[in-house]
Amino acid sequence: MASLSEEVLLVVKRVRQRKQDGTLYLMAERIAWGPEGKDRFTVSHLYADIRCQKISPDGKAKIQLQLILHTGESTTFHFSNGSTALKDRDATKELLQQLLPKFKKKANKELEEKNRMLQEDPVLFQLYKDLVVSQVISAEEFWANRLSLNTVEHSLSNNSKQEVGISAAFLADIRPQTDGCNGLRYNLTSDIIESIFRTYPTVKQKYAENVPHNLTEKEFWTRFFQSHYFHRDRISTGQQDIFSECAKQDEKGLNSMVTRGVKNPMVDLLLLEDKTLDEVRDCHGAGGRPTEAPSDQASETSSTDGNSRDSDFFQPPLKKVKLQESIEYDDLQGDSGRKTIALNLKKSDRYSHGPIPLQSQHYTTSQDIINSISIIQHEMRNYKPRLTQVMSSNAASSAITALSPGGLLMQGGAQQTINQLVPTDVQIELKHLYTAAGELLRHFWSCFPVNTPFLEDKLTGHLEEMLQAAYSKFQVWQTRRMMRKT
Amino acid sequence: MFADDEINILVIVLDVNPIWWGQQAQREPQFTLSTCLDSLMVLANAHLVMSRTNKLAVIANLYQKSHFLYPSKQWKSGDEISTSSDGKYELLSVTNDLFAEEIRNLMDRTEVSGSHTDSLLAVSIAKALCCILNLWFMQIAGQDVKSRILVIKAAEDSTLQYMNFMNVIFAAQKKNILIDACVLDADSGLLQQACDITGGLYLKIPQKIALAQYLLWVFLPDAEQRSQLLLPPPVHVDYRAACFCHRNLIEIGYVCSVCLSIFCNFSPICTTCETAFKMPLPQMAKTKKKKVKTAN
Repeated sequence: MASLSEEVLLVVKRVRQRKQDGTLYLMAERIAWGPEGKDRFTVSHLYADIRCQKISPDGKAKIQLQLILHTGESTTFHFSNGSTALKDRDATKELLQQLLPKFKKKANKELEEKNRMLQEDPVLFQLYKDLVVSQVISAEEFWANRLSLNTVEHSLSNNSKQEVGISAAFLADIRPQTDGCNGLRYNLTSDIIESIFRTYPTVKQKYAENVPHNLTEKEFWTRFFQSHYFHRDRISTGQQDIFSECAKQDEKGLNSMVTRGVKNPMVDLLLLEDKTLDEVRDCHGAGGRPTEAPSDQASETSSTDGNSRDSDFFQPPLKKVKLQESIEYDDLQGDSGRKTIALNLKKSDRYSHGPIPLQSQHYTTSQDIINSISIIQHEMRNYKPRLTQVMSSNAASSAITALSPGGLLMQGGAQQTINQLVPTDVQIELKHLYTAAGELLRHFWSCFPVNTPFLEDKLTGHLEEMLQAAYSKFQVWQTRRMMRKT
Repeated sequence: MFADDEINILVIVLDVNPIWWGQQAQREPQFTLSTCLDSLMVLANAHLVMSRTNKLAVIANLYQKSHFLYPSKQWKSGDEISTSSDGKYELLSVTNDLFAEEIRNLMDRTEVSGSHTDSLLAVSIAKALCCILNLWFMQIAGQDVKSRILVIKAAEDSTLQYMNFMNVIFAAQKKNILIDACVLDADSGLLQQACDITGGLYLKIPQKIALAQYLLWVFLPDAEQRSQLLLPPPVHVDYRAACFCHRNLIEIGYVCSVCLSIFCNFSPICTTCETAFKMPLPQMAKTKKKKVKTAN
């Protein structure tokens, strides 16, 4: 038979189609039927193409199954295996019932999604027209990139769903019910079992080892609940308790972390305190304390890698350098002592004045001075910033007019803005080209980090071409514009 | 995406000469020091909000001293900073409060002084440069530090600070620090030169009450963004020197090679450093217009 490399889920013999005897095969992605004695399938439909299935009512003599495709065609299979016909048909129907929804939703939903996105966003529509229709990017790549942008609720590919954490009280919630006669009854659902495995990974390990070879599930859980491990005593009494090992393993893990310890001898534990707003600002503020800031930063960066294993190797030189740094200050070292000749001036006040013309001095009387100072002091004593009333809108708009092209302050500069020089249709085209180029760049950047060969190829081959195509378009456009001007 | 890679430092140097501001309050009551401070605060807040890594410093420029208004040394006192009840971004409310407090204290402590009533601009700019350099050393490798100094000038230039001022300007140029100037009253040749040399913007404001608008429009964007915007064109700077003897502006003159003082007429002895020069030969005096004599 053709392509037996596919996984075959179900084979049904003695199925007639169009009055011919044959065998029905259900594979992973399609359903196929081949006539008796022949090598190939005459009928083959992908699950994705099948819209729905129908079965003949139970009372009828003929046991049939009909497949209706999206295109409207239908294919009927007649199960003629005598005694097992009904069972066969039902088995087929159920399998199809499971498989069809998976494929069906995918196909439809995707298309719907895409159409919806194109309709909602005119910019996207324009991009689609520019890039896909003019064959700069293939449609699959366009959508592959776009869909991953959208939120998780639209995830069609199997993104790992975010795992919900375990509630802290779940162990307490597994309260046993008294069984009436001196026993306890625990209700274990698969959720609870899942949570137990996540909390105690060693228990999961034990489960995998012992069930179903040594113990049944019931026995395993009985022992679990009975063991001291669960009851948090953690006293390994040396019994034949499979769970006593779990406690020991946990202890071992914690001990190893403690012995690894902190590597950096210069870690300043005080830095790990919470910082108030003041101190943080201090590090950033200017004119504050120049000496503290660099050493703060140095010890902070060292404390972050204090636990890495590499620092162990570099420890002695690191320590030395740090000690050296904190002892010496470069700028306080003595001068290098170059010999210079002093300038001998007789009238040095000319220098301080410099080659600038005399300016008319404003003479202020001492009374004026005293007045002014007292006015200012009086004003400033009650100064409170009122930032919402800094200026009136009239003043602001007259200032803006003065600063706009042609205004009072702008005489003599280069004055024409781009949007006055260029006609509207050219502007629109330019905007489209710009957004299309931006989209291509986004594809480019989304390829990093390059961790599959597909991405590598895309970058070096494919995307190059696409960018070339975009450039040449732009080139064409530009030459057109040039020619239009001349 | 790149917000963490770039630190933008803005240092505002504000001229709070109380004599000028007091007279201004009498001339134009609607624009006083309070309004000016409010406008500056608006600019400062806008700058801080533009990006998390933007840094700010404000220096007040007085005739006796220059003083850091923000960040101030008073933080260490451990005082409770009142958290604003209007849900404002804490950095802004703290900044504004400290700023206001410092300026109040500063003005309270001002003493009357008859002499030396000019603002010490060169001192403030030097402090600003030190502050920028300080922040420079705190950068993490790979970060780009861009800095600029905005000088708000009210009173006139002080001619005594010329040398210091020029030194400071060239230091800023070497470190690629822009100096912008926003002039409220009289044009200042020194600041024009400063802006021209370092690549900043010089603007004399026609309407003082709209100061906030001018600050936000012209001085808020940083150097990179300015190339994309239409801003007032640069002012033509008069670079002519004045001769040391008469203080006239000259285009062609004589320079002493020992002390570099400029003269409009030739003289055999330089009056500044008392170096003697050889007399020029007659034919050279006719053909050459400008001479530089070497000392022997």
